[in-house]
Amino acid sequence: MSVTEIDSNQFRKMIKAASATLKNNADFVNSLNVFPVPDGDTGTNMNLSLASGAKYVANSGADSVGDLAEALAKGLLMGARGNSGVILSQIFRGFAKSVAGKRVLDARDLNDGLVEATKTAYSSVMKPTEGTILTVIRGAAEKSRQVYSELDVAALMDAVSVAADDALKQTTELLPVLKQVGVVDSGGQGLAFILKAFADSLNGREVSIEKNEPDSQEMDEMIDAKHHKSVQSEINPEDIKYGYCTQIMVRIGHGKEVERKFEYQPFYDYLAKLGDSLLVVNDDEIVKVHVHTEHPGKVLAWGQQVGDLATVKVDNMRLQQEDIINQDTDDQPAEQEIERPNDTAVIAVASGDGIGTLFNSLGVTDIISGGQTMNPSTQDIVDAINNSHANRAVILPNNSNIFLAAEQAAKVADIPTTIVHTKTIPQGMTAMLEYDPSAKLADIKSAMEANLDYVKSGEVTRAVRDTELDQVHIKKNQFMGIVDGNITVTSSNMIDATTQMVAAMLDEDSEAVTIIYGQGANERESQKLKDNIMKIDEDLEIEIHEGNQPVYPFLVSVE
Amino acid sequence: MAVKIKTKYGVVDISSDVISSVVGSATTDNYGVVGMASKNQLRDNVNSILKNDNYSKGVVVRQENSGIAIEVNIIVSYGTKISEVCRNVQSKVKYNLETMLGITANTVNVVVQGVQVLND
Repeated sequence: MSVTEIDSNQFRKMIKAASATLKNNADFVNSLNVFPVPDGDTGTNMNLSLASGAKYVANSGADSVGDLAEALAKGLLMGARGNSGVILSQIFRGFAKSVAGKRVLDARDLNDGLVEATKTAYSSVMKPTEGTILTVIRGAAEKSRQVYSELDVAALMDAVSVAADDALKQTTELLPVLKQVGVVDSGGQGLAFILKAFADSLNGREVSIEKNEPDSQEMDEMIDAKHHKSVQSEINPEDIKYGYCTQIMVRIGHGKEVERKFEYQPFYDYLAKLGDSLLVVNDDEIVKVHVHTEHPGKVLAWGQQVGDLATVKVDNMRLQQEDIINQDTDDQPAEQEIERPNDTAVIAVASGDGIGTLFNSLGVTDIISGGQTMNPSTQDIVDAINNSHANRAVILPNNSNIFLAAEQAAKVADIPTTIVHTKTIPQGMTAMLEYDPSAKLADIKSAMEANLDYVKSGEVTRAVRDTELDQVHIKKNQFMGIVDGNITVTSSNMIDATTQMVAAMLDEDSEAVTIIYGQGANERESQKLKDNIMKIDEDLEIEIHEGNQPVYPFLVSVE
Repeated sequence: MAVKIKTKYGVVDISSDVISSVVGSATTDNYGVVGMASKNQLRDNVNSILKNDNYSKGVVVRQENSGIAIEVNIIVSYGTKISEVCRNVQSKVKYNLETMLGITANTVNVVVQGVQVLND
């Protein structure tokens, strides 16, 4: 059955057919989506946009094509989603403008509509990108202009549909990004589907018309402004069935744990039982696995049976989801570091990761690496101050040798800087307990320095040569206990030296002992030390931290 | 103001002009955006559409705690769904910043400074 005129009934059928076709092919269109943002939702967006238009047409009681086209344009405008949806709404806006007032359309009207549709679509953008849906509608309209005078609407629509397909094929060549991937433009494909459906409908060819009205959920999604919110953030972390995104790469046949030959199907089947979103890709040497599972360990063990693990990556998706919901921006690439302005920068000189971490946990914003054997230069300190981008700075030298450099740095720094004269790491930590970021700089300094005298700091280190200092004889490689800068005890045994040193530091008022063990000591030795100290005074509170500092196996503070 | 990116070979500084250009181009690529508008219309005189080389006048880049905040000023075409055009701008700007510069924008605020009505 061929038709020479499009009446309102015919128009309704065309829209219905187009909407159904688009719905059926939404996934396919999604898969083509690489431009402008490859998020794979062009098909979905076009489908929902057109569905909204179709809904308006279905609800319209009009019996003229002009009015129905108007309803369609309105519905598309209201439901427009995504770039392609917006363009689609413009195409039909132009079309509606052209056919306004017409009860039926003949070939000439249809042609005029297509030409106007193209014009409107192009006019809404400053620099039209060729190789998109725009190219497709333009190709269709150009063909129409050439042939409309000789054809009826059904034949014209067929010709237009073919021209649209041709134009669509060109999109791959027109847009570099499409050529790279070797696909046609997804939005253009969507429009080609629509025109094809129009042609099929007009020519009485079978169009698989499912029930194409959007279900209530889709409709809600379109109308509700909330649809702009990412769907992802709607997912409750607890609703994620499999919590760990696990990815491994296995070198087949390598390693000690190999128990079996790699065979794709059994390998795949076992993993399929462990979770979903399974992807297994292999060649002769390597098999890559991606799976969402509750048991990443089982996946690893399974992989190890056929080879060794070249790479392993396990992400807790529930945690990621929580982060998304919390609008956390931790998803930035790890290497990206953007300066974080603090109002007040607290800069501590310290060595050892653990000490740095301890300081950070106390509120220190920047650490300058340095200490007894490698004092930072004035320039290092100035750089740290200026790079902090804060409004003011507090410096904890944690070593009397650095006081001068710090004073110099404070003078030339861009921002007001004060120095809290901490001589040792433990003093620095005690000082941080009194740090009040909201106070005035001078008050911060006096508050932080106020308690320093109550803290005794002990450091244990190894003598590098024979010497005599403060009436203490020291042999090379002996351990020395230094209390507030004075060598107090020596011993060839590290624990003995430390125990004696702590004993010398304790007095009646002592309440708390903090032990920070560094390189050259370990937790077991620290525990031994703690036991020794407990024997001296069992009422003491003793804390042990890992400081990982060089040179000093033990740093001890007594308060 | 510049964004610093640390790599194992050193530091990369990206000036806000670069960011503005990327943001501006990403914005005007979007269907329905007729052009960029100046962020300071009074000072820069009327709501003229900005040319390629002064996109930066229409883009504000602000440093925030853990990323950057972008503001783009645009003029849109009459008859488009403005909210959707803006949303497209947001996602494209964010996407281009991430792919081209490796910068994550915390927020992309779109200010519609004008609507261009076309002569029929």
